[in-house]
Amino acid sequence: MNLIEFSDIRKVYTIGSITIDALAGVSFGIGEHEFVAIMGPSGSGKSTLMHILGCLDTPTSGAYRLEDHDVSKLRSNDLARIRNRDIGFVFQSYNLLSQLSALENVLLPCTYSTHAMSGRNERARARELLERIGLKDRMSNRPVEMSGGEQQRVAIARALMMDPPVILADEPTGNLNSKGAREIIDIMKELHAGGKTIIYVTHDDTIGAQAERVIRIQDGRVVADDRN
Amino acid sequence: MDLRDSFRNATRAIFAAKMRSFLTMLGIIIGIAAVVMLMAVGSGAKQSILSRMQSSGSGNLYLTAGARSNVLMGGGGLGGGNREGASAGAKITAEDLTYIEARVTYPIVVSPTNQTNITIKNGDTTMSGTGIFATPTYFEVESVTIADGRMISDGDVDNRTRNVVIGNTVQTTLFPNESAVGQPIRINGTSYKVVGVAAAKGESLGNSVDTAIVLPFSVGEKSFGVVHNVIQRTTIKCVDPTQSSAVTTEITDILTRKHKKVDFTIQDVAALTDMVTSAMTILTALLAAIGGLSLLVGGIGIMNIMLVSVTERTREIGIRKALGARERDILVQFLIESSLLSIAGGVLGIVVSVLGSDFIVSRFTTTEITGSSILLAVGFSIAVGVFFGVYPARTAARMKPVDALRYE
Repeated sequence: MNLIEFSDIRKVYTIGSITIDALAGVSFGIGEHEFVAIMGPSGSGKSTLMHILGCLDTPTSGAYRLEDHDVSKLRSNDLARIRNRDIGFVFQSYNLLSQLSALENVLLPCTYSTHAMSGRNERARARELLERIGLKDRMSNRPVEMSGGEQQRVAIARALMMDPPVILADEPTGNLNSKGAREIIDIMKELHAGGKTIIYVTHDDTIGAQAERVIRIQDGRVVADDRN
Repeated sequence: MDLRDSFRNATRAIFAAKMRSFLTMLGIIIGIAAVVMLMAVGSGAKQSILSRMQSSGSGNLYLTAGARSNVLMGGGGLGGGNREGASAGAKITAEDLTYIEARVTYPIVVSPTNQTNITIKNGDTTMSGTGIFATPTYFEVESVTIADGRMISDGDVDNRTRNVVIGNTVQTTLFPNESAVGQPIRINGTSYKVVGVAAAKGESLGNSVDTAIVLPFSVGEKSFGVVHNVIQRTTIKCVDPTQSSAVTTEITDILTRKHKKVDFTIQDVAALTDMVTSAMTILTALLAAIGGLSLLVGGIGIMNIMLVSVTERTREIGIRKALGARERDILVQFLIESSLLSIAGGVLGIVVSVLGSDFIVSRFTTTEITGSSILLAVGFSIAVGVFFGVYPARTAARMKPVDALRYE
């Protein structure tokens, strides 16, 4: 049984009288512990695909099964629970809250958890995550006081906070230099080795080549699905 | 999301934009201060009127001649004589009072009085005042105490002795350097002897004993032209003030049977007090409503700034949603923020109104800040924060995560 099962997912945007098929029927399955890169030129629909995978958006039609539950028909509260518990999302532009410290940003998902740990355990876990990715001395820094690579590592720690089975990353290295990008890829490889399912979007071939499987999207369709 | 986190978030957001938050609060501060201060003026006015009424004696009934439809304002108020009644041919006589006293079943004290304007003279100093022709019961029913000497006695009344009790102002004006007790005094040209000085009392319902001279009820028929068998005003004190309305009913019955018609008026201070209380309560509510208008404007200010805040923080909302915030979490976050702004404004508004009414308004009029007006102010500011916060908060809560995240 696949962890993620996309069957004939379509996403249609209507702007005035024009309709745009961002996704024109996408089907694939991703198993547990896979390490997948989704690649495609800009405008190919890979971001839309990522948003639907991350339950940030809903498909116009088609079925999306996550851990054998059909999530394409869930209501907003249930989708919020899935985003909180089952998926860790990493964005290209980090998306940290600027008014919070690194530690507080990592703790943010706990605020919205329905079965919370104790405050002390939460903080201990957040510290441990930040230490693991080499930000032991940056915990009380605000995002503006950190480099892009550091910010993205905080974002990864935040994605790991609720220990979700799936990590989704939308162009995680897009704003980083090659050293920073390499660090992020290394962390993702490590997480994969630790048992997480990793799916990331990139348009950079060298970054894409690091994955075990590459799904190529063009004009809203899957055009290639290769295993390295 | 637990409430402590929400409060921390909200205070952080409020302090992040100090100037803007303060200006937003200012609307509420002004609104709440207006409500509290106007209510303070209203209830201050009520208190000062009531204390005047009460100083004229609680449980007192005033019996005057002539039937009046308007109890509150009829015939020149409580202090007025029986001019209107007299012109209608109606009168209250000493015999009426004896008749009433013999039949009333409740304990009462009756004090008949007549009044006239007089000129008082000591040596070369002259002043004008009120001559009150009264019996010893006058001092009891009108709560007039003697500061010096004695009051008018039954003997003074029975023997038509020219002994008088003078008011405090009369003492200080005509006898600035000595006690008036034992001194002669000329009233309208006739010589009297001062036997007592009344303690200062202030004005109560148009009657001030301070500028008056109390004369024995029996004197002055010739010199002042007062007809003592016709009694202008009779004060009836109910020994138990709670019986005032029952006594009113009983005396009305008794006198109606004797006169065969209702050609007299009994004014009950307690009933009058109730009427004034309810009228002043309405006035206070009206003042509060006027203040409430500025509170409304303040509330709209909060809504406006919260809408701006929601727009500015669209991306933050998107991030929070991506991390699992439900619609309710976002709604609560913004509602707490708007409520905190409003409550803080309300508390500051109360401070401003307390200071303002103590130092400014109280120079012009009596003010009284009541606990209920403060409770009302706090309640209103919470309500304003929630009411005007709902729309912006709902706008935030209903954003789609993907749209909010894309917002630049």
